[in-house]
Amino acid sequence: MRLGDLFRMSISSLFKRKVRTILTILGVVIGTISIVVMVSLGIGLKSAMLDEMSTFADLTKVQVQQNSFWGDSSSDKDKEEKRLDDALVEELSHLEHVEQVCPTVQTSALLKFGKYICYMDLTGMTNEEIARKNFELSRGTLPNSRDELQILMGNMVLAQFYSEKDYSMPYYEKGEALDVDLMQDSVYLILDQDAYYGYATNPDGSTIHAKKYPLNCVGMMAGGLDEFKNEYSWQAICNIDALKSALQKVYKGRVIPGQPVDKKGKPYKEFFYNNINVYVDDMNNVSEVQTVIQNMGYQCYAEGEWIQSSLRELNLIEVVLGGIGAVSLIVAAIGIANTMMMSIYERTKEIGVMKVLGCRIRDIQMMFLLEAGLIGFFGGVVGLGISYGASKLINTLVAGSDMGYSYISVIPFWLTLAGLVFSTLIGMMAGFFPSRRAMKLSPLAAIRNE
Amino acid sequence: MAESVIVAKNLYKIYDLGETKVRALNGVDLDVPQGCLCAIFGTSGSGKSTLLNMLAGLEKPTKGNVTIAKGRIDQMNESQLAVFRQKHIGFIFQSYNLMQNMTALENVALPLTFQGVPKEERKIRAAKMLKMVGLGKHMEHRPGQLSGGQQQRVGIARALVVKPEIIFADEPTGNLDSATTLEVMAMMQKLTREKGQTIVMVTHDNSIASYADMIVKLIDGKIVSTEYRAVPVQAQTVIDSETADSEGKI
Repeated sequence: MRLGDLFRMSISSLFKRKVRTILTILGVVIGTISIVVMVSLGIGLKSAMLDEMSTFADLTKVQVQQNSFWGDSSSDKDKEEKRLDDALVEELSHLEHVEQVCPTVQTSALLKFGKYICYMDLTGMTNEEIARKNFELSRGTLPNSRDELQILMGNMVLAQFYSEKDYSMPYYEKGEALDVDLMQDSVYLILDQDAYYGYATNPDGSTIHAKKYPLNCVGMMAGGLDEFKNEYSWQAICNIDALKSALQKVYKGRVIPGQPVDKKGKPYKEFFYNNINVYVDDMNNVSEVQTVIQNMGYQCYAEGEWIQSSLRELNLIEVVLGGIGAVSLIVAAIGIANTMMMSIYERTKEIGVMKVLGCRIRDIQMMFLLEAGLIGFFGGVVGLGISYGASKLINTLVAGSDMGYSYISVIPFWLTLAGLVFSTLIGMMAGFFPSRRAMKLSPLAAIRNE
Repeated sequence: MAESVIVAKNLYKIYDLGETKVRALNGVDLDVPQGCLCAIFGTSGSGKSTLLNMLAGLEKPTKGNVTIAKGRIDQMNESQLAVFRQKHIGFIFQSYNLMQNMTALENVALPLTFQGVPKEERKIRAAKMLKMVGLGKHMEHRPGQLSGGQQQRVGIARALVVKPEIIFADEPTGNLDSATTLEVMAMMQKLTREKGQTIVMVTHDNSIASYADMIVKLIDGKIVSTEYRAVPVQAQTVIDSETADSEGKI
């Protein structure tokens, strides 16, 4: 028989028993809705959480850290010290999956405004990395000079000022931030804190006086004083080269804090980085790159790592939710099998007549399989349509509530396709045994006169 | 005598009912020549229906062999039989067995559908058959809108549409009144005369059997007599409005 004729006959016999067909389809509709909506919640939760996480953590970043310099004397001395230098930056940038390699230098700095001071971390980054971070500014511009120490101030720094005399903190005690405009007022930046407190001495024993630089703050990050937006909120950021030369100038001949020393306690001529941030092309390649770098003998750490593990948990939730949904589709499948069985009992004579008239048994089986498959398919189509509506409704409700997510249900294209294929397949599977039964019915049934 | 198209040899059918064994056919030998209208005549329980089922390949004999149109149908499996029936056999039922949700035209085209004939060709061939049985004006009617005689004529058209060598008819007039019975019988006689088709019909009615060229009488699963009639009783058709309208007059 021609496929078109098979379809026509299957559809016409579905039409002949409209109410029953609609009820059976309804079962599939409910099954499809429950499985699609459940899985869409799993996917949506995952993606919403990922969105949330990526605002304060870069999921494609692998951070290469310098090995601890101080405790390293115990380990075998033949081993070459692993240092973070420009050669390594070059080497890392040639690794597979690596998009960008950005060294950073961290130091601690002091801000001074009248009798108020404030400690903060100052991170020197390449201009590329600063651009990559997409900082939201409330005022000013991003620092970009490689010579001049331009500062981008975190939005929470201002809250950290305290009085040098009585250690009172205006923001935390009175709820009022210090009345200072870091970009306009005369605030000083001190890098050499030992010198500031009078601990630092020249080789000849004379005390070094800390140099105070006028703070050149070119930009402020957007956000309130206690609004943690990312890890840089209570830090300051500047260009790495500018910071490097500033440090070298301030600590002329002495050990810059955070820089390694040789066995005699003397600094090296070279300048080493504190961290090298390696940006990977895709989140899924992070652990691969991480392993490569570790095998090179460096310590590294990826923020994406723990996120990956919580994603695995969410995957499990997704499977469980899908499983719950699948139960109702299985119930629907039993419904289809039942309908097909009934239909075959009713049509025993009709099937017999078809056999006597020369219908091949394969065609008879095919006809019933198609019928069951069509029930599954139509149920799938209607169910998916309703699922889209339900998903939209859930998201509107969630967005309107204070759950913190703007959406929790996502139906990707593959889920639509999988839902349709799955419901059709379930239908055909449910129709398989009934169709075998129809195939085996005796043509003699046609002869019997009731 | 013409070539034999149906040859049955030493046919047995034994139904095992647990304690007792029922011999529905008890050693039947049959030879039907081509172009013959053969009536298998017997009372209820004589085994006539069983014999028909076996000749048509609907049931397997316990013993013996059946050759139809040179095919050993007792040795065929279900799918081979289906193909064989498509090509060589037409079937007319007592209770017509038309598909209630299809029009007369679609019903007649059904065997062609099973053969995989394209839709347009099916329509043309089925329409031709319906005109031939005098139902040219009823093509789009469903079985429920037709009389018993008309329905049986649709059934005959359906059996003829594949141009089979052999047509089996199971009590074809069993549900018809005497006037329409005559019509149907006349049509069957004409088919064997003019088209050379072989018809095997089962009946319990002596007067129906008398229209046949060959009457096989069956009692308790055995053939008791085989009668050949050179000039069988001619079925006189009562010309009614139905047949008079037909383009293909019979």
